[in-house]
This record gives sequence, C-alpha cells and structure tokens, in this order.
Amino acid sequence: MPRRRDDDDDDIDADEEEYEEEMEQPLDEEEEEEEEDRSSRKRRRSDFIDDVAEEDEDEEEEEEEEEDDDFGGGGRRRRAKRPSGSQFLDIEAEVDSDDDEEEDDAEDDFIVDNVADIPDEDDNRRMHRRPLLPREDEQEDVEALERRIQARYARSNHMEYDEETTEVEQQALLPSVRDPKLWMVKCAIGREREAAVCLMQKCIDRGPEMQIRSAVALDHLKNFIYIEADKEAHVREACKGLRNIYAQKITLVPIKEMTDVLSVESKAIDLSRDTWVRMKIGTYKGDLAKVVDVDNVRQRVTVKLIPRIDLQALANKLEGREVAKKKAFVPPPRFMNIDEARELHIRVERRRDPITGEYFENIGGMFFKDGFLYKTVSMKSISAQNIKPTFDELEKFRKPGENGDGDIASLSTLFANRKKGHFMKGDAVIVVKGDLKNLKGWVEKVEEENVHIRPEMKGLPKTLAVNERELCKYFEPGNHVKVVSGTQEGATGMVVKVDQHVLIILSDTTKEHIRVFADDVVESSEVTTGVTRIGDYELHDLVLLDNMSFGVIIRVETEAFQVLKGTPDRPEVDIVKLREIKSKIDKKISVQDRFNNTISSKDVVRILEGPCKGKQGPVEHIYRGILFIYDRHHLEHAGFICAKSQSCVVVGGSRTNGNRNGNSYSRFAGLATPPRFPQSPKRFPRGGPPNDGGGRHGRGGRGHHDGLVGSTVKVRQGPYKGYRGRVVEIKGQLVRVELESQMKVVTVDRTFISDNVAVSTPYRDASTRYGMGSETPMHPSRTPLHPYMTPMRDIGTTPIHDGMRTPMRDRAWNPYAPMSPSRDNWEEGNPATWGASPQYQPGSPPSRTYEAPTPGSGWANTPGGSYSDAGTPRDSGSAYANAPSPYLPSTPGGQPMTPNSASYLPGTPGGQPMTPGTGGLDMMSPVIGGDTEGPWYMPDILVNYRRSGDDPIMGVIREVLPDGSCRIGLGSSGNGETVTAPSSEVEVIVPRKSDKIKIMGGALRGATGKLIGVDGTDGIVKVDDTLDVKILDLVILAKLAQP
Amino acid sequence: MGLMLRSNALNLLFEDRFCLTLVVLARSQIESRNSHQVKRAASMFFHIVLERNMQLHPRHFGRNLRENLVSKLMKDVEGTCSGRHGFVVAITGIENIGKGLIRDGTGFVTFPVKYQCVVFRPFKGEILEAVVTMVNKMGFFAEAGPVQIFVSNHLIPDDMEFQSGDVPNYTTSDGSVKIQKDSEVRLKIIGTRVDATEIFCIGTIKDDFLGVINDPSAA
Repeated sequence: MPRRRDDDDDDIDADEEEYEEEMEQPLDEEEEEEEEDRSSRKRRRSDFIDDVAEEDEDEEEEEEEEEDDDFGGGGRRRRAKRPSGSQFLDIEAEVDSDDDEEEDDAEDDFIVDNVADIPDEDDNRRMHRRPLLPREDEQEDVEALERRIQARYARSNHMEYDEETTEVEQQALLPSVRDPKLWMVKCAIGREREAAVCLMQKCIDRGPEMQIRSAVALDHLKNFIYIEADKEAHVREACKGLRNIYAQKITLVPIKEMTDVLSVESKAIDLSRDTWVRMKIGTYKGDLAKVVDVDNVRQRVTVKLIPRIDLQALANKLEGREVAKKKAFVPPPRFMNIDEARELHIRVERRRDPITGEYFENIGGMFFKDGFLYKTVSMKSISAQNIKPTFDELEKFRKPGENGDGDIASLSTLFANRKKGHFMKGDAVIVVKGDLKNLKGWVEKVEEENVHIRPEMKGLPKTLAVNERELCKYFEPGNHVKVVSGTQEGATGMVVKVDQHVLIILSDTTKEHIRVFADDVVESSEVTTGVTRIGDYELHDLVLLDNMSFGVIIRVETEAFQVLKGTPDRPEVDIVKLREIKSKIDKKISVQDRFNNTISSKDVVRILEGPCKGKQGPVEHIYRGILFIYDRHHLEHAGFICAKSQSCVVVGGSRTNGNRNGNSYSRFAGLATPPRFPQSPKRFPRGGPPNDGGGRHGRGGRGHHDGLVGSTVKVRQGPYKGYRGRVVEIKGQLVRVELESQMKVVTVDRTFISDNVAVSTPYRDASTRYGMGSETPMHPSRTPLHPYMTPMRDIGTTPIHDGMRTPMRDRAWNPYAPMSPSRDNWEEGNPATWGASPQYQPGSPPSRTYEAPTPGSGWANTPGGSYSDAGTPRDSGSAYANAPSPYLPSTPGGQPMTPNSASYLPGTPGGQPMTPGTGGLDMMSPVIGGDTEGPWYMPDILVNYRRSGDDPIMGVIREVLPDGSCRIGLGSSGNGETVTAPSSEVEVIVPRKSDKIKIMGGALRGATGKLIGVDGTDGIVKVDDTLDVKILDLVILAKLAQP
Repeated sequence: MGLMLRSNALNLLFEDRFCLTLVVLARSQIESRNSHQVKRAASMFFHIVLERNMQLHPRHFGRNLRENLVSKLMKDVEGTCSGRHGFVVAITGIENIGKGLIRDGTGFVTFPVKYQCVVFRPFKGEILEAVVTMVNKMGFFAEAGPVQIFVSNHLIPDDMEFQSGDVPNYTTSDGSVKIQKDSEVRLKIIGTRVDATEIFCIGTIKDDFLGVINDPSAA
C-alpha cells in the first residue's frame, strides 16, 4: 500500500511537470503583448484536452521544431482560436485521483491557483524554465501538505527517500498478494492518456463509488492502459460507459511483472565524445551523428551531422521570400559547401567558438564546419543505444581527404554497444586500446566487464584481465568465418584482408568481397550462402515470374531474389520480390542441341555462340528451349549462363559419370559437330543427300559394341526409365538390358541408357554411346515416342519399333507434338487408331497403306522371325544401315522404314509423291520430319555463307549439289560471285514477319509463301499457291531471294 | 617443399593422362617419403592407406574378381576429393582385400579394400605454382591441378593495378610485370576451404619471391 501511494505522488509530480513543460511552450512562443489571462486559459485547456491525447513524439517534434527556429505556426494558431471556458476541466485534471479527504483540499487549492494567480504563475515560469517543484504559490501550502502526509504515513514502515534504502526494504515494497492488482485494459490506440484522464474524471465525479485505485497510461505502450484495483469487477465498473476503453478483455498482470510495468528503464548511457548516435526526431530522424560535445548539466549534446539542407530553400527563407512548406520533402544529406551557399547570396559568418577556439561557419543560425552541421540538441532527441552504423554511413561520414586516423577511435566506440557474451572462450582477440595495444591473445575466461586473455607473447603473465572494450576479435587472412550479425548475416567466407576491425571476406557463394566488422564475425568451418531460401524458393531454383518470364535465382537477398532471366542474348538480372514469383519450374524436360543431341538436365554442354561462347558446364535447368548452364569458372551471376539450346552442343553425359569437361567432348566432337565431317554422308538429314549409309557407322559403331556389354546401366528414358540393369547384348541402336529389379531382359534404345551407374568397364567405351548418339541424328527426337509405344513393346521388345519406325516417325512430330492434332489419339496408345485416324492423315490416302498394315503384320510379325535374326547381320555389318534389311520383306509399307527415303533428298521434287508413307506423315504434323535436323537447302533461298573464321556473307542458293553442298551466288540478290559451299558453312537466314518465304521441308516443301506471323518457334505462313494458312516451324522456313 | 610439380601437368583431369602423370609423381613421392615424413605439413602429396567398401556385381565373380575389383576401385576413387584427405590422385597398390559379404536381396558383394594411394591436399602456408585462369577486378583465379586458388586484389602487391580491357590483367606501374590469363604464378596458400568435392584456396602473392614466374605474353 504505501508503495502505491508513492507511486501516485510521483505520478502527480511527473504529470505536472509534463504539463508545465507543455505550457511553457506556448508561453515562449507567444508574443508578450498578448493578454496573459486569456492565453493562459486557452493554453490550459489545450494542454489537458489536446496534448493528453497527442503522442509523445509529437510533443518532442514540436520541441524540435522550436529548436530549428522553424515555426509551424499552425498548431499554435489552432490553439489560440479555441474557445475558452474549459476551466472546469483544468481543475479536475490537475487533481489526483482517489484520495477523498485530500481531494477537496487539493481541489480548492487548484481553483484558487488558476483563477487568481495567473499573472504570478506566468512570471514564475518564465523565470525558471524547468521548475522542479510545482508552482511557487503552492509552496506555502507545501508545509501543511507535508505535515498531512507525514501524519498519514506515519505508521507505514518506510522512511525518507534520501536515506539509503537497503535491499530488504526495497523488497518489502514489492507488491504482494494482498495488494491491489494491476489490470491491463484495452483502449483506443492513441487515446491511452485520454482514457486515463477520463477515468480520473469519472473518479472525481463519482467519488467513492469508483473502486479502482489508479489508472496508468504508459507512453511506450499503445492500445492499453493499466488500472489498479482489487477486483476485476471494479475495473469493469469503472470502465463502464467510457467509449475509449474496451473493457471486454481485462488481463491481470502477474504480480511478478507488476513492478516491470511501472519501472523506468534506466537510461544511464554515458554519452561521450565520438560516440555514434542516431537522431530520433526531426528532419534528421534516423541519421547517424557523432557526438562532439556533451553538456550533462543542461542535458544537451552537440552532434556532428551530415546536413540535410536545401540551400535554395534556405536562401529563400533568409531573404524573406515565402516558401511553400512541403513537409514531406527531406533534402538528401550532403556536405555543406560554403561557396555554393555564398553564390546563393546566403550570408555566411565565420565565428570562433569562444570555448574550443574552433572556427565555425554560421549560416542562418546553423553552425557548419568542414561541411558538417554541428547541432546542439537535447539528449532526449538522440538515441545512443544499439547504434550500428553501416559501412556506407561510416564511409560517408569520413570526409574526403580525411584519412582513416579518426576511424579507429570511432570504431572502437562501436564496441560500447555490443551484446553480452560477445567473447567466448577460445576466441582470438587483439587489444585495441591502452598500454597493451596490439597484443594478441586468446580468451580464457569472461567476467562481467573483464575478459581474461592468454597473451600470445611470451614473458607475460599467464592470463591478463582486460576490459572488454579494449578488446576486439582478431582474425587472420585465410580464416574461414561466418558473419553472425549485420547486413551480411549468415554469409560465410574466407578472410582475405584484415584492416583493423574491418575484415574483407571472400564470400563462398558469390566469390565477391564482403566488408564486415570483426565483431560481427565468428570463425566457422561451415559453408553457407547466407540465406538460401525465402518461402518455397531456393537459391538456384528456376522460377516463373509474374510477367511469364522465367529465370534462375542466383542470389537470395533479405527479402528479394536476384534472378537471371531467361534471355539468351545478354545476361539480364532482375531483382524480384517473393510475391512476384509465380511458381517454381521443376520439370524434367529435355531439348535438343544444335546437332539434335538430346540435352537433359546435368548434361554438360558447350556454348557455341553468343556472348558466352566457349563456356561449358552442366545444364541445371531447361525451359522453353533455354538452357541454364552452370559454369563454375563463370563468376558472374553465380556461375549461371543462359543460352539457347540451339546454340549449344552436348559435351558428354551426365557429369557424374566421370566425364570431366572437355575430355569427352573432344573424343567425339568430330562425330557430333559438322565441321569435321562437313560432307559426311552420315549426315544425310542435314542437307546432304541421304545415300545408303552403308558405312555410316563403320567407325563409330563397330568395335565398340561390346564395350558396353556387361556394364551396369540405368535407363534414362522410356517405359523402363529409372531401371537399372546389366547390358546383355547390343544390337545396333538397341541394347538388351537385364533388369536388376525384374527378372527380365528388355530392349531399350541405346540412347536411353546412361551408364553412370556402376560401369565396371572403363567408361571410354561408354562414351561411344554418345558418339553414336551424335552420329545418328534421328534418335534423340525419338524420345517421347516411347511411352506411346508401350503396349507394343511388351510383346515386341521388337527392334522394329525402335530401329525402324522411329527414325521417321518421331522425327516427324516429336518435338512439336503439342501442335499435332493427332496427339490425343496417340496418347491412347492404341495402334489401331493410327491407321484409322483421319485427323492426322487427312489428305493423304496413300498413307493408309502404310499405317494400316502396321498393327497387324508389320509389328506382330517381327518379334517372331526377326528378333533373333536381327542380331546377326548387325553384328557383322554396320550397326544401323543393315538393320532395315531383314524387315524389308515383311513390311508392306517398305518405304517409310527407310529413313533415307527420297523425300529427304533435296532437289528431288518427286520425292514426296513417290513415298506415300512419308507423305502421310508429313501431313500429320505441321512441322515435319527431320526438320529440326538443320538446313536442307533449296534453290532460291537466302542464306548466310560462313567460311570458317570469316564473317558471314549473304548469298542465294543457286543449286544444291547431290553431295549436299550448295552453289551460292553471293550478294543479297545472288548476282555476285558463285561459290560452292559445304552445307555446314551455309546458314539459312531466318525470315521475319511479312517476308516472302520458301518452305524447305514437310509436305509443302518447295512451296513459297508469305510469313504472316511468328509465334515462338513457329511461323504462320500463307502459302502462295493454295492461299492456305499453315503453321510451320520456323526452322523449315527460309527467306526467299527477291528475284 | 616435398614435391613441386608443374601445375599444368596436373591441370588436366583427363583420366588417363592424369593417372600417368601422377603415377610418376607418386613414385617419386614414395621415394622421398621417408625423408619427408618430418616435414609433413609442408608437403601437399601424401602416400597414404585408405579403406573403402566396394560393392561388386556378381557377374564379376570368377578368376578376374580381383582385377575387376581393382579397376572398379580405381574408377571410383581416382580423381575424387575427400575433405579429409584431399584429392585422390592415384592408387598405387592394394594392401588388402577383406572378406566379401553378400548383400541380401541384390546379390552384390561388399569387399572392404585397403589401398595405398597418393593424395593431393594443399595446406595453409604452402607455396605452389599455378596457372592463372581468370582475372577480374577482385583478383585472379588460378589453378594448380584440381585445386582452384583465388588471389584477392588485397593480396596482390599494391603496386600492381588492375587493367580492364580485352585481356584483363594486373600490371605494375612500370609495366614490367603482368598477370593475365595463362600466366604462371607462384603463390602462397593462406586459407583453404574443403568441400565434399572441391578444395578451394585463397592465396597471396604479396610476399617475397612470389608472383609471376612465366608470362605467356612475354614469350
């Protein structure tokens, strides 16, 4: 109980003091002539009504404004206009809450004060700026009051304040179960004080029927007030009818926490010179400042700031011109340039500070030195706790030309605010201050303030006690550290350089330099990237963004990602917020490289063109024909490179199979890339004539067949995807694999296996697989077909599907399957529908002749007869070309099975009609067969002729020679010199919208038309002859030379 | 300094070449092993005995079981990097093959194999020669065999300045010394970070006798 009383009294004092201050302000501002009587009343009123509700900060801001000589005016005028006559409120407000007997006296006192003694009061106030006691005139009563109080509390056990209280006595003051309880009640935000005052008012009105003891509004606690009462019901009763208080929820404050509610946090910060502080209010709110002088008596601090001054506005103001005051605009911090100020005719006085003897430039009452603003502010308006200047700020603060001398001292002040437990046993430290400066050692023991260190130097005592503030963590270049606080928190890296307290770290992930304070860092062997994940998205994920673009996350920042966009031409990095990400793309797609080798994730590719030409690395993501390649030597964008799949070439298989880098590439580069075999007959689909292919695989295939036999492989694609097994036999393009999990031997396409599992044979042999792969341009495209074939494969395991049919068929539609109208049927996987399906062979009756027999004879037959036979000829002969032969007789639709059918022959106009099968196929998918294979040229199209090393020259194909090379007339109209170029040196010029084009492949091969639109990789073409509009792959379109 | 090898020899991880080069090295290492035992910390090649459990498919059983096992071991182990021992450069011999244990269900047999091998592990404070692979404003990257070393610009002598351009390089003010791609430098390792699959080092050339030893542009 006694304790409570004290609190109350204190509260009164405190409140009164505050009110006094409040009232002071207007007084200072007010013109003297004003009628004091009136003004004081108005002020009174406003104090109690307005300011109570106003938040603390506002008050302070007002104060600040005063200091700035920056008269807002508005607020004051508002007050002045307020009608008077609120005396009643005044009086009540000044009265304390609950003491009945005293209340009357007090009330009387106040009334007297206010009404009668106003002039005195004002005078008094003017004299003492901060009266510690209540009003002077109260003094006379004080003694009486004191006596009364003495009398009242005489029986209480607690004595005068000035006597040193022992801990026991203090303990006795703590609230116990018998004391009234403290209840937390919700109230309107910003109305905390008002609510408390209302309660007080109510108390006065109602007198003893209010059973609450006190009400407290805390400045730092919004939305709640505390009410002291014995019972919850009392609180409820008291709150009834008050609209500011929401009494639905009344929370009891536990006894233990009661003291915390009303205890004032000790703000005993020793502000000393060179301490970094932050401004709390005003224009400079949040700005870093450095203390230059402390006046403890007047509670004022002089700080050094980077001025935020709009010189123009200042000039206007000084010249008395009216400036429209824009409150929102805060000028950026900038060093004051005196000359600039002079140019604006701002008067600059040079004054000498009488105490320090330093010279300051005085502009409009502000003091500047070296471009800094020196400002004297109240201690309240700065915060000195937990100030962590960032590097940027410090950098700015360091005046150009000023070397780092001052830095160390100021940096050491940073340590003043570091957390408890900063040093741990075993930490390497260095002494930064005092006699032992630069002594290194290790922390042995940490006490409160002192740290015992074991010095590195010999001949010193075993441990030395050093003040924590004189120590700094010590690191050496090469240490692997982790940043534990600050902006770079979480990053790890190796120390590259130690510059006093600043470390330069090479980040593990970004391979970039990071600057951190030694204090923020601990030694750690952990390798992290800092934050690697926000929400569902992680570093290196491929994500789809809002605007349908996509990219890979290359860096995770505090609340945003850096995304390398999927634009192949140039690296484009965007900062993307979490909400701008639509989804993660996690598809397992494979695409084709320039030479139609399948690229799937983790394959190593080399970039053939574009800005990153020559780079290579494993493919991390594939999306819409764009590859994201990770090259560890590529330092930008976290090692990611974005490239078109068409501008890359597969180097080897999955990296995990040991094919490192250029190694495997070089091995079969010759097989895969055209330049080495420009006229190779093997490359028939690329423009060369499809001759028999008799020796096509001679070198590539033969002799290595057995290499794979016996090795353990994993099936990468097709129905057996994921299965592991041992290779029993190789038959040309097919491999028979004994599955580990099922007692079964299955046949899969050779390209569908990956031997990175546990191949016991040297992988050299395995690499032939790739070699073959690249040699056989059709197989990669075959991939997706397999699932459709599943039903047959079971019966069959027949080589005929894989070996025979695929080449044409899937090349025909596979990459563009989505466009093919027949797709749905396909997926049913019912072979019978193929033949019958009118959808995809609408206009080609001959094709039925091919399709129809298939389900019956062509396929069903095969397993029986040819299965075992097939192996034999192939082993002796070339892998591929021989394969068709055994089946030829049994297949009525023989032509379609020969991949090198005439339809591919450039310059054979009759090709299509003669091969009904292929013709039909062509119809099926708009983007026809082999079209992805690259150029297969025709006369009259515009091409770029690229001789090795030279810039490409435009030309027009005049003639396509049987060996695939072209005769080209140079120049855009083809009138120039005529040269003969191998197909590999010729590149079709991709037509643009509304260009005249010639169709180089498909059913419409040879037709001309106009490109009326482009949609991704497809072109919309209006064919000249029929005036039909067709959607065709851009690849088979070539720009027609203008006649 | 144990063995100093021309880094370009190690530079290639082509399996065959790699093995060849290193087997030679390994031999010399073995010879010098005894004499260098004391100074172990200063050498980066070690001839040590490691153990590994090998799984072998039943089809390899038979007369050639041992050979199969060894070839599989070589394939599996050579060129890998373990955090503790560094890069396994080459297997020099098999100490002991333990008794195989047949795995239930799969038929695979696990053999504990003890093998001698040469490992390459860079240490802090070591000096080695490396080929510069990339130069940028933050410093340059160099490779010594499988190890990548970064030399920060803070650890490049102060008189060397970064010159951007077609061939980014660090050049002294008088232009007499130039570090660019493919330069060979002698550097000192001041820190290593060992991952599961990679060793990354930070080096310095800011010390006596460190720096460019062979400049391709001068040649």
